[in-house]
Amino acid sequence: MKGKLEPSERQRLIEEGKNLKEGLATLEEDLLKLTDELQQEAQGIPNMTHPDVPIGGEDCSVIRKKVGSPPQFGFQIKDHLQLGKELDLFDFDAAAEVSGSKFYYLKNEAVMLEMGLINWTLSEVMKKGFIPLTTPEIVRSSVVEKCGFQPRGANTQVYSIEGSDQCLIGTAEIPVGGIHMDSILAESLLPLKYAAFSHCFRTEAGAAGAATRGLYRVHQFSKVEMFVLCRPEESDLYHEELIKIEEDLFSSLGLHYKTLDMASGDLGAPAYRKFDVEAWMPGLERFGEISSASNCTDYQSRRLGIRYRPSEPSSASPKKGKANLAPPRFVHTLNATACAVPRMIVCLLENYQQEDGSVTIPEPLRPFMGGLEIIAPKSR
Amino acid sequence: MGLQSCIGGTTLQTLKLASIPTLSSSRLVSRPVQLKALTLDFFLLSRHGRSRRSPFPLLARALSAPAIAFQTETPPEEKGNAVLKPQWKAAIDFKWIRENKEAVAVNIRNRNSNANLEAVIELYDKMSDLQKEVERLRGERNAVANKMKGKLEPSERQRLIEEGKNLKEGLVTLEEDLLKLTDELQQEAQCIPNMTHPDVPIGGEDCSVIRKKVGSPPQFSFQIKDHLQLGKELDLFDFDAAAEVLSLFNLSGSKFYYLKNEAVMLEMGLINWTLSEVMKKGFIPLTTPEIVRSSVVEKCGFQPRGANTQVYSIEGSDQCLIGTAEIPVGGIHMDSILAESLLPLKYAAFSHCFRTEAGAAGAATRGLYRVHQFSKVEMFVLCKPEESDLYHEELIKIEEDLFSSLGLHYKTLDMASGDLGAPAYRKFDVEAWMPGLERFGEISSASNCTDYQSRRLGIRYRPSEPSSASPKKGKANLAPPRFVHTLNATACAVPRMIVCLLENYQQEDGSVTIPEPLRPFMGGLEIIAPKSR
Repeated sequence: MKGKLEPSERQRLIEEGKNLKEGLATLEEDLLKLTDELQQEAQGIPNMTHPDVPIGGEDCSVIRKKVGSPPQFGFQIKDHLQLGKELDLFDFDAAAEVSGSKFYYLKNEAVMLEMGLINWTLSEVMKKGFIPLTTPEIVRSSVVEKCGFQPRGANTQVYSIEGSDQCLIGTAEIPVGGIHMDSILAESLLPLKYAAFSHCFRTEAGAAGAATRGLYRVHQFSKVEMFVLCRPEESDLYHEELIKIEEDLFSSLGLHYKTLDMASGDLGAPAYRKFDVEAWMPGLERFGEISSASNCTDYQSRRLGIRYRPSEPSSASPKKGKANLAPPRFVHTLNATACAVPRMIVCLLENYQQEDGSVTIPEPLRPFMGGLEIIAPKSR
Repeated sequence: MGLQSCIGGTTLQTLKLASIPTLSSSRLVSRPVQLKALTLDFFLLSRHGRSRRSPFPLLARALSAPAIAFQTETPPEEKGNAVLKPQWKAAIDFKWIRENKEAVAVNIRNRNSNANLEAVIELYDKMSDLQKEVERLRGERNAVANKMKGKLEPSERQRLIEEGKNLKEGLVTLEEDLLKLTDELQQEAQCIPNMTHPDVPIGGEDCSVIRKKVGSPPQFSFQIKDHLQLGKELDLFDFDAAAEVLSLFNLSGSKFYYLKNEAVMLEMGLINWTLSEVMKKGFIPLTTPEIVRSSVVEKCGFQPRGANTQVYSIEGSDQCLIGTAEIPVGGIHMDSILAESLLPLKYAAFSHCFRTEAGAAGAATRGLYRVHQFSKVEMFVLCKPEESDLYHEELIKIEEDLFSSLGLHYKTLDMASGDLGAPAYRKFDVEAWMPGLERFGEISSASNCTDYQSRRLGIRYRPSEPSSASPKKGKANLAPPRFVHTLNATACAVPRMIVCLLENYQQEDGSVTIPEPLRPFMGGLEIIAPKSR
């Protein structure tokens, strides 16, 4: 229509243009709808699975490693709830009145134990090059979704804030995953290794029974979480590094534990491969999960929009301009629990209890607790 | 030194923060004290040769008392379906209010409160009359019931049955009215603010009086930076990423943040040092739930559902996020009668705090000064009424000692009547000099709430004085329970402290010196230095 035209020809073209425009608007609407439908369905597809992952349900998980053995006690042992009561370490009853069940106050040496565990853990993983962080504990629900969680599903684990699109985090994995949302990182920055300390909030909807007594399953707890962003070809390597760090931490504390390669039926949607560590809890008379290390490959990064720019020079001699920049690629993300405080407290209290009702503090924690060696019953 | 005996050999060098240049090992090896990273030095006392006995001598006293009698009262079943029915009742002393209405009225005026004293007194009088009427009717009904027990003529019996029925119906109506009146009275009366200490200056914010001034503003011979700029250059915080994660468009106004690197160590160091210091003063350390029932928030004197509320609510429940540990700690002894020997109960609670900061905007809210989430160590005391002034002085002294130890320049204010929150009988605020903001900023607040909170939370104690007569068996000699007094005081509000420390201790080369007392709690770290690139 830019050229010189006969009026009738111009009119015809205007008509044609209008029809095309209307047709386009309709098609573009359909395209949008289809894209949304496609997204909704496709987001339901779980991550691929590492070839070595055992196929099957929970009972198919394979033990990768077993460390230590159950302690032998020459006396009637107590569970952490009883120990906590007798040593005046926690208060569940007052918390039930103030907040509801599965809430608690930590008191006295238990506070020192929490601070000691966090400080020691942060100190240990910082030595391994992890950047320490504290994070927001209120985040936008879209970030929760991008990490692979379902904030609004039935039986959701996620607390929502009234009157907003914000939620409480269930793990620092979420706000840390969000740090580099919609970014292209320079390759030289990778791997980016964060150790994030936060409080975590979980509704534990649908979780009930004796296995949830005391500190084992609670609505609020402190946790140090390791989060790694790396190049795709390195994620298996960092998964091994993360599980090694966890195992070293738990071995230092003298825990008896086993590391499991979780079966395909037990992986969350984001995880390509997941190692869980279960520690022996004598009071519960069974192993209980104290940490989880997942390699999410590009599942989260594709949702969070985290990419990096590979810096390999092109084969031709360097030219100016974007022509030589390699296209950005999605990073791989991994997350691993360095320390989930309540479960650790269960382990330490139950494993290190003495006949006289006191609890010994493992060596590595003592400098982080002012040298405290033993939690003793208070004289009356 | 007791300290050294418990320290391992790890040097600071191994504390490799990702982008910090490696400290040369030779410099550290020559130092006599090598502290493990983030040492919790709770027992500096051990340096003075104290033996390693129970680390909690003061706790033993608190715990040797007879067990706390938990008298949990279940809330009365609410008949009917009133939308505005309060879920709980404050044990307000209406008689006292009536007898002192002049003083109460003056107090309400001085505090710019909206409380309607006339309505309260009117409702109270009505309620008292109605109560008498109800009791009278009950008496008559009982009399009728008694008469029916004897031998009666059928006609007489029938008449009594009729009378009984009428009385019963009349009673039901009156009792409903009584309930309604009680609720109305509660609603009005709960608005009445606490009375005010006679020494509190009367007036608005500008009438607050300086009680104490410590130190002086540091002199800088170079262009100083504010904490935001220092934080950016030293890679200590990230507000922008937080703004994205929370999708707030005004990035510089974002009130969420990540702490990074040495700022994390600073937070941990501040908390651990503060807890350690107040534990030495006999405070029981606690961590608390950060989600609580909204009724507990109300009982502490806050308004979770008001317009411009500071309180975040959880969707689909009656729960809220706490804005201060004062709330869950106040709730610990709700609806209880404590043995007198337990008092004073002194708690030091560490928690995260969440505040909407609705209605707060502007430059004064940049950076860490006003945020939605922060860590805080809060002191909370429950004591006998005659001792609360004493403990208020003790709390402010503890705070001042903490801030003096850190070398801060600050002033302590006796807050004016117009600036007290409803619960506070008296309030001392500490404002510290923040060179980057070029003004004083509040870093702590210590309130004596007398029995305002305890009357709402239902916390009483049983005085243990023996009666003048010789001791007899039974309850006759037990003194009636009295309401405790509660006090709360900020031991450490981490972000404001970080602002103070960064801005006051900045050096010309862009680094920041760590005050001495914090160093053992930060693995011996002395300086936050710019990272080499």
